[in-house]
Amino acid sequence: MKRNPITIAVGALLLTIFFLLLFLFQVRTTELAVVATFGRVTAHAGPGAHFRWPWPIQSVHKFDQRIHTFEGKLEQVLTSDANNLLIMVYVGWQINDPAVFLTRFNGSTNRAQDSLEGLIRNAYSGVVGKHPLTHFISTDEKQLKFVEIEQEMQARIQADCRALTNGLNIAFLGIKRLGLPESVTKLVFERMESEREVRVSEVKGDGERQASEIRSRADFASAKLLAEAEAEATKTQGEGEKIAAKSFEVFRQEPELAKLLLDLKALEQLLQERATLILHDDMAPLNILKSKEPAGPQK
Amino acid sequence: MSDISLQPPPAPPPRRDAASGAPPRSPATAPAAEAVEDSGTQALSEALHSSFKIVKVIMLGLVVVFLFSGLFTVGQQERAIVLRFGVPVGGGDGKLLGPGLHWAFPPPVDEVVRIPVGQVQHVDSSIGWYATTPAAEAAGTELPPAESLHPVNDGYLLTGDENIIHAKATLRYRIAEPGLRYVLHFANASNVVQNAFNNALLYAAARYKVDEALTRDQAGFRETARLRLEQSASELDLGITEIQIDNMQLIPPRQLKDAFARVSEAEVVRSKELNEARSYENQTISKARAEAEARKNAGEAERTRLVEFVAAEVDRFTNNLPAYRSNRELFVEQRRAETLQVVYAAAQEKIVLFKGPGTTNHSLWLQINRDLPRLKEKEPDKPKDAH
Repeated sequence: MKRNPITIAVGALLLTIFFLLLFLFQVRTTELAVVATFGRVTAHAGPGAHFRWPWPIQSVHKFDQRIHTFEGKLEQVLTSDANNLLIMVYVGWQINDPAVFLTRFNGSTNRAQDSLEGLIRNAYSGVVGKHPLTHFISTDEKQLKFVEIEQEMQARIQADCRALTNGLNIAFLGIKRLGLPESVTKLVFERMESEREVRVSEVKGDGERQASEIRSRADFASAKLLAEAEAEATKTQGEGEKIAAKSFEVFRQEPELAKLLLDLKALEQLLQERATLILHDDMAPLNILKSKEPAGPQK
Repeated sequence: MSDISLQPPPAPPPRRDAASGAPPRSPATAPAAEAVEDSGTQALSEALHSSFKIVKVIMLGLVVVFLFSGLFTVGQQERAIVLRFGVPVGGGDGKLLGPGLHWAFPPPVDEVVRIPVGQVQHVDSSIGWYATTPAAEAAGTELPPAESLHPVNDGYLLTGDENIIHAKATLRYRIAEPGLRYVLHFANASNVVQNAFNNALLYAAARYKVDEALTRDQAGFRETARLRLEQSASELDLGITEIQIDNMQLIPPRQLKDAFARVSEAEVVRSKELNEARSYENQTISKARAEAEARKNAGEAERTRLVEFVAAEVDRFTNNLPAYRSNRELFVEQRRAETLQVVYAAAQEKIVLFKGPGTTNHSLWLQINRDLPRLKEKEPDKPKDAH
């Protein structure tokens, strides 16, 4: 009897908690939920706490609203220019309409992904088959349609989902792998090998050509330098001669004297060192020894 | 609370005790009860009170534990948000909690979501490398290359010029703040990043030539892949930042290792040849420059010599001109004598021929046998004529 008030308080609290558990459910921000009343979907519920009637009147189905990644299988597809291409894509999908998802796939992610795989396969043949190989791989930017193909496939799968009303949304799609059939890789190797051989000879030829170009350029440049220097030197010398020639004008006053002076100088230079002189006795000053008529100097 | 709960009971002594907040003390209550009630009732009351207090203490303890269990710490490298009944607390995307101690209601009311924004995440590419087994990788050996590539087991990239290369790399990135989308909107965000990374490598390879991707322009290849990845990340609103591609390895197929090695060898030879040619060029040109300079200087010297020589001659001429004009005969004689003097003095050997008084002409035959200064050869007999 003494414990009544506190007992009532505690009891009330427990009762509240019990009813909350029974009548409330919470949906995480990453989830979507539907409420089914006697098995029929009667309400959608977003994130937060919500009221419901307890089982067996209402049941709550929660679905992961996050984007899931699903990878298709590596499939061989014929491109529009009859090349066999192996392609594999990854798809980001999420539940768009939980009620539809529940009825379509019984709430099973795996079944949804099985269905997606079929759609992806359709997209392979429908989209990839319309493009030549150069739209996938090309050194020419204008030909490449890599991104466009991805968008086209995504749009197609999205459209299929809408047409099927399967409650799925395609968030993104990307090509994960591109390959060639096993037998073709062998052929590619052979081609690559021969390309390498060509490249080796190209490189060799190129090296030799460039080297000889450089050498001949060097030879030409050096010959040109020398020729120019020669020309300049000759020109300088010519200038000197011209100046000298002008000075010779002075000698005209007395050519005899000029000649004499030059001769004397030449003689001096000629007989400067280790010369042997053979003298005639008629020559001055030896003629003094004979005391006879004088004669010119002779060597 | 203890006040309210204890008001209704009629027995005053226990109330005083409880109100004073002192711990249950049997000896203190005993004397007061003794006077009013009999010992049986008193014992029952006592037992009830003490057990009631124990329960109260336990319940208080439980409440404290419950409240403390809501404490959590956010690390230096993390941010966190609180979901209350599944909805972010703080409106919109929620209030981001920084490092430190925080409190939230314990589950199921609140849920703490941690976002590792500071940590560098990394994923490896998974599509471009040939098949290996974990055992072989651990041993550092490789399986011998097959003739062809198996489409499922062997990964590779197709280049723009339809060649095959292998590639692998590691992607490093950080989750950008607030990072909520990365954590809450993707079932497996790092898997999405990995796929986008693979796709970026594929995309880069699809537009590259094999030689450029493997040798000349690896940096460009990496940059192309990085830009593509950045673009897809922003399209998906992944909320990642500081995207960086590390440890990128691009190699030719192992089947063609030798063929590719031959090309690199040829390239090495070529660059060696080119270097040689360039050094030849440098040498030849610098030599030519030096020669040209020398030739020019020689010309200059020759000019100077000529000009000086003539100037000197002109000087001599003008100096001598007055003397010559005043007496030509004497001048000539004087100059001749002077010169002869110099010449005679300079000459090493002098031979004088005397002519007998009747003869007008005579000849001299000399046998010269002298070592020439450089060529130590004997010269053949040389007749010399003297007038």
